[in-house]
Amino acid sequence: MERFIPQELIVERGSESSPIYRNLRRALPEVPLTIVDEASTAALADARHLDPFGAAKRKLYLMRHRGEFFKKCPGSDGQVCCNYFVINFASNCPMDCSYCYLQEYLQDNPALKVFSNVDDLIDEADRTLQKHRGVFFRIGTGEITDSLALEPYTGMARELIPYFAEQPNVLLELKTKSASVESLLDLDPKGRVVVAWSMNPRRVIDLEEHDTASFHERLAAARRCQDAGYRLGFHFDPMIEYEGWQADYQAMLEEIFTTIDWRRLSWLSLGVLRETPGLKRRMRERYPQSRLLTGEQVLCPDGKMRYFQPLRVEMYRSMVQWIRRHAPTVKVYLCMESREVWQQVFGFAPACEKELGNQMAPLA
Amino acid sequence: MMDWLEEIALRDRAAISEILSSKSIEDLKTDPRRGRADRLKQIKEQIRRLRYPRLAATEEEIRKRIQSLKLHPEIRLSVPAGLEGGRLQIEFTSASAGEFRERVEKLSKLLGTPAAAEIFALLAGQPIEEK
Repeated sequence: MERFIPQELIVERGSESSPIYRNLRRALPEVPLTIVDEASTAALADARHLDPFGAAKRKLYLMRHRGEFFKKCPGSDGQVCCNYFVINFASNCPMDCSYCYLQEYLQDNPALKVFSNVDDLIDEADRTLQKHRGVFFRIGTGEITDSLALEPYTGMARELIPYFAEQPNVLLELKTKSASVESLLDLDPKGRVVVAWSMNPRRVIDLEEHDTASFHERLAAARRCQDAGYRLGFHFDPMIEYEGWQADYQAMLEEIFTTIDWRRLSWLSLGVLRETPGLKRRMRERYPQSRLLTGEQVLCPDGKMRYFQPLRVEMYRSMVQWIRRHAPTVKVYLCMESREVWQQVFGFAPACEKELGNQMAPLA
Repeated sequence: MMDWLEEIALRDRAAISEILSSKSIEDLKTDPRRGRADRLKQIKEQIRRLRYPRLAATEEEIRKRIQSLKLHPEIRLSVPAGLEGGRLQIEFTSASAGEFRERVEKLSKLLGTPAAAEIFALLAGQPIEEK
């Protein structure tokens, strides 16, 4: 993976007192820095570019976040939900996967932003966690950014882990396609932090997951986190169907389970490639030669295109079978799938979202 | 339909003109037994089959099994578009309690047939043993 270096740092006035600012300046002393009064206005100016989404990834904004940090994961209409919460400490990502849903989700606001008010983030999380001590929260930071891609510069995870490690009713999940784990290794996660990798066979990574860490870099990073006492997760999402996918995915699982102790895994998730028609248009514009969209996808009731149901059920069933050979009791769940698909894959479907969320809580 | 053609072209590394002049489409274009509207419909269906070969094959297998059940005309079995949802839809009409009972009994008998089991297996992505 080539080291991402932003072309410019744009800092909103007032953010200079943040620990994230200090970390950025220390890690990127050579990158030109501009202080602006209003970062969101400056970010909008970049929208005139031919590929605003791609261009936005080259400048890094540091600014206050004025809304709520802590949100319920929206899931997908009518699909089984895993009762997940998200904390958005950044928006957009320096990596550029051809299937990334942010291409559509952030198309009107694509600036690569990191939020400087970490204290507000922790205060807000603390209020919620304190108020609901009887509720177990799975919280992820990788919904609209990669949890660790910017870690070498921002040190954000290093700021957050000590707080979350002390909370009795939480699992913090850091979800990534990077290998940037160095800053985590000397911290004690106290069983409260899961570092999770989105994984695909080498062929998919090479063709579709641009500017991400290689398969082996991710796996080596996972091993280092395991050795440092972190729990791990893997998300086989999006699974891509192509000629020979079975051999590639089996080989990938073989390598993972040879390197990782499956008893340290908190969960594995499966999800197939999915996109709204709007995202499909964006993918075709930005990656016209990608063959991802030539799969046999149909429009599902939640407005997303997926491989037609018998095909994807067969894919899930195969994956579960291969996983079980290595990790007989690890928790495997489907991301954004219907009850019918759950039933066809596992022979059961969670009765409600709390059931699925709770199933994962005691594994921490 | 243009999207389908572009996606077939990308997948098969072929030009759209090559796809449109392939034998399966050429035969339909020049079939003297069909009117213009029918030819267009058949060509569109053929392009769909080229774009979604396994989906079309699964739908065809289901259709064959439904046909093999030799249902009463008042009973209709169908599957959702794109097979999404994994459910078989059953419709029937009846004009009296007697007819109603008769339809239900016929449907109930169908449940035990291999064809019915295979329809559900196909909807669930399970392999079917070739006869």
